[in-house]
Amino acid sequence: MKSLFAVLFVAVAAVPATAQNPPGVLKSESDRVAVIERIKPAVVAIFARGGGGGGTGVVISDDGYALTNFHVVNPTGPTPQCGLPDGILYDAVVVGIDKVGDVALIKLLPPKAGRKFPYVVLGDSDLVREGDWSIAMGNPFLLATDFTPTVTFGLVSGVHRYQYPAGLFLEYTDCIQIDTSINPGNSGGPLFNMKGELIGINGRGSFDKRGRVNSGVGYAISINQIKNFLGHLRAGLAADHASLGALVTTQTDAGGLGRMAITQILEESDVARRGLDYDDELISFAGRPISSVNHYRNVLGIYPRGWRVPLEYRRERTKKEVLVRLMGMQKKEFPGMQIDDSLPKPEPQPRPMPGDKPRLPLPGKGKGKAPGPKGPGAKLFEAKEGFANYYFNRLERDRLLAAFAKHGDFSGMAGDWSIDGFVRLKKLRTESKTRIDILEVKDGKSSRSLVKLNIDQFPYELEPFKQNQDPVALKMPETSGGLLSAMYLYHRLLTQGVKGFTEINHGGHEPFYPPPTDGKTPARVAARRVDAEVLNTRHGPFLTKWFFALTDQKLLGFEVRLQDNEDPCEVYLADYRPVEGRLLPRRMQVMYGDGHYGTFSLERFNLAK
Amino acid sequence: MDMHKRIARSAGALLWVLTIGTIALAQQPFTPVAVDVNKRLVKLFGAGGFKGLPSYGTGILVSEKGDILTCNNHILSTSDLRVHLYDGRFYQARVIAREPELDLALVRIDSDVDFLPHYDLAKAAAQPLAEPGDWILAFSNQFKIATRDEPMSVQRGVIAAYAELRGRRGIFEAPFSGEVYFVDAIANNPGAAGGAIVNRRGELLGIIGRELKNTLSDTWINYAVPVQAKVEIQRDEKLTTIDVVTFVKEAIAGSYKQSEKRAKIDRGAYHGIILVPNAVAVTPPYVEEVIPDSPAAKAGLRPDDLIVYVDGELASSIKIFREIMKQYGPGTDVKLDVQRATRLVSVKLRLAEQPKVKAVP
Repeated sequence: MKSLFAVLFVAVAAVPATAQNPPGVLKSESDRVAVIERIKPAVVAIFARGGGGGGTGVVISDDGYALTNFHVVNPTGPTPQCGLPDGILYDAVVVGIDKVGDVALIKLLPPKAGRKFPYVVLGDSDLVREGDWSIAMGNPFLLATDFTPTVTFGLVSGVHRYQYPAGLFLEYTDCIQIDTSINPGNSGGPLFNMKGELIGINGRGSFDKRGRVNSGVGYAISINQIKNFLGHLRAGLAADHASLGALVTTQTDAGGLGRMAITQILEESDVARRGLDYDDELISFAGRPISSVNHYRNVLGIYPRGWRVPLEYRRERTKKEVLVRLMGMQKKEFPGMQIDDSLPKPEPQPRPMPGDKPRLPLPGKGKGKAPGPKGPGAKLFEAKEGFANYYFNRLERDRLLAAFAKHGDFSGMAGDWSIDGFVRLKKLRTESKTRIDILEVKDGKSSRSLVKLNIDQFPYELEPFKQNQDPVALKMPETSGGLLSAMYLYHRLLTQGVKGFTEINHGGHEPFYPPPTDGKTPARVAARRVDAEVLNTRHGPFLTKWFFALTDQKLLGFEVRLQDNEDPCEVYLADYRPVEGRLLPRRMQVMYGDGHYGTFSLERFNLAK
Repeated sequence: MDMHKRIARSAGALLWVLTIGTIALAQQPFTPVAVDVNKRLVKLFGAGGFKGLPSYGTGILVSEKGDILTCNNHILSTSDLRVHLYDGRFYQARVIAREPELDLALVRIDSDVDFLPHYDLAKAAAQPLAEPGDWILAFSNQFKIATRDEPMSVQRGVIAAYAELRGRRGIFEAPFSGEVYFVDAIANNPGAAGGAIVNRRGELLGIIGRELKNTLSDTWINYAVPVQAKVEIQRDEKLTTIDVVTFVKEAIAGSYKQSEKRAKIDRGAYHGIILVPNAVAVTPPYVEEVIPDSPAAKAGLRPDDLIVYVDGELASSIKIFREIMKQYGPGTDVKLDVQRATRLVSVKLRLAEQPKVKAVP
């Protein structure tokens, strides 16, 4: 009996203690404090040089790269100054911008070369759910003169939210809605999950009548969207967002359910070339089911221009999946393609949160001139049309080419090349002997380039720079979309590198979809996806996009086209083997449009010096 | 002994369960609750879209056949009222009944629907009132962030007070007068009216009210009408008390009779105070004369008294004093604080019916 009383006593004594100071509450409080202590050192207070304006940012790598909003660095100019909670004011430089997505990447400059910065890790914003807790940090009202961020804590009110752009810019797609308090000055600051992982960048709120302070409705750009653009941002690009080239609207059926239908389509769009037409029903886009215009816009909005994503549609009873190249938004915006929901337009235009005084003009509006580059960051800044900072584009391009050269240095092998092997053409189904020659023909004093392709004694010949040539010749053989041109350019990249092209720029990151090597078609296009680093080159009429593996910068393939908005000749390289100490692909697959031209087995390379 | 051991063990287990329970509660996400509550709410689209009036709102499903409780506001003034359900289905709807005194309306989906997730209002109203300090979650389609199958916004907060929301014409007009929940979540945003305030288990506590600003302090107020709320209404020339549950029940049955134009506000009552002439814009309410045998005379009010407070509310001018007094009916007690020479004196008046005016022969 005694033991029973003892137990009861313990239980009774424990209950009031639990009620006053629940151990769970104390534990979660101390956990929260520990997380905040860990991530706080990476939160950046951003100012224009000499003070005035500003916002927040967060460091995401130990060499000082930090994320913020475009609308924070737009008025500071290319060289803002950044305070960290260590109390030090660092010089910084804008690296890349995404105006539509309202994101900017900046780099803090270490006072001593090689000094490491505290940074936070990127989380997975697709795992964030409505009702999750979150932590925001930043510099609301520019309160912190010692750069210590303000911490706020609250609930995720919604995920995959869509917020209309302010004009053409600052469109928040697939964003995270929070009741975690964010105010002017919080812009560009981090939103964390309870593990201290970065899940978003806070940037705007719905204010309506209540003035520009927290009204319980804030929005953060999801980190997964930013990840899609991070390669572009690191490469100093002024990144553009995607458009599909088609108008998608909701049509209601009698049962109260909507169907997403294509109601307009641009002829020059890839989606039209892939066979979509009016009244086709959009089922899924980039792997996500689409059931409302907001869904569609959410999916479209997280991708950069030029990316290829799978799209699934239904026509009558048949479902089909195609891989679609996305068009751009900024330069080729098309009037009349404003996507329209059957609902009235939103009255409360959510507004970006500016830094504190002075009130910042929206980009494109007003002519408030941002200051030019100044201070130590100016050495790392190079203006160029279409780029946020060309200095970083060259940096990334040269790093990529240096890593690529490790697979083989062909600079001394700039002479004639011949490649012998076999090809299995799609239309023939049998294996044929083939030979490819890339030659420089001496013609008296001058010389001209010549490419030859022989398939079973059937010859093709191209002189890429012949005067008054019909551009159709540049696309020989016809069903390859330009394999001869492609071989000429491949030789040029390998042997001449940067010198071989009028323009050669880093193009950020893009997904690449090599066809299966076993000949079988995978069930879903997405299964083929490999993420790649991209180089864009221009030489004469040839626009080429080169894809390199993210891991070791091996060349995975390339695409050659003569102009935007046409199907390129796609070349996929695989099965690399050493040839005289250099790695060369043994397998080459060529595709064009919806078709497969052929698979080459490259058996013997003869490379002349 | 065996039994003792068993009890000891189960007591231990109980403690363990309690501890785990609090850990879980402390930082648990509200995702499951949010998913569940969202199914019982609808997005409404109707009239508005001008002068800062949103054309969208929120509603709470109160029957499986598509009866929706919402705020009795401007968005219902249309023949094209649309409802979006949580799963993306959308329908036309029509207004079945309104009760301005509750500031609530019942709307019905104009199609044959069945088995909709909904709140049992009678059950919710049978629960005790929530208390200040209790956690709440607020759900609404504020700012029209969501359409079709996109979920409502969820915010968290606590009940800051359960107190009377008193409207005063011209000073601080409230669409509802009675006891409400004041919450610290910024819940009463555009389009939030008709949304739900629930506890952390997702049980319905109240209906989010309109956007409301106190023009005196320039502050925005966030409140919800409790599901237990009742108001006095005038119907068939009688005063009746009506509560939310009865309103909904009778509205669904098709038998609800709306209150008549509120007589209460403008009726006023007889007090017997004659004030100084209202000469300037802000004339202080000085008593000029007290009518003999009137309520004011019985309370001991005297000429030259300056009326300062009426029931605790500052009456800074004759105009405001009259506005305030209009809201009291005969038989009610009013406390006046008056300045008499250098002292502050409190008097209590029992207001009377206006004396019948004798016809002049």
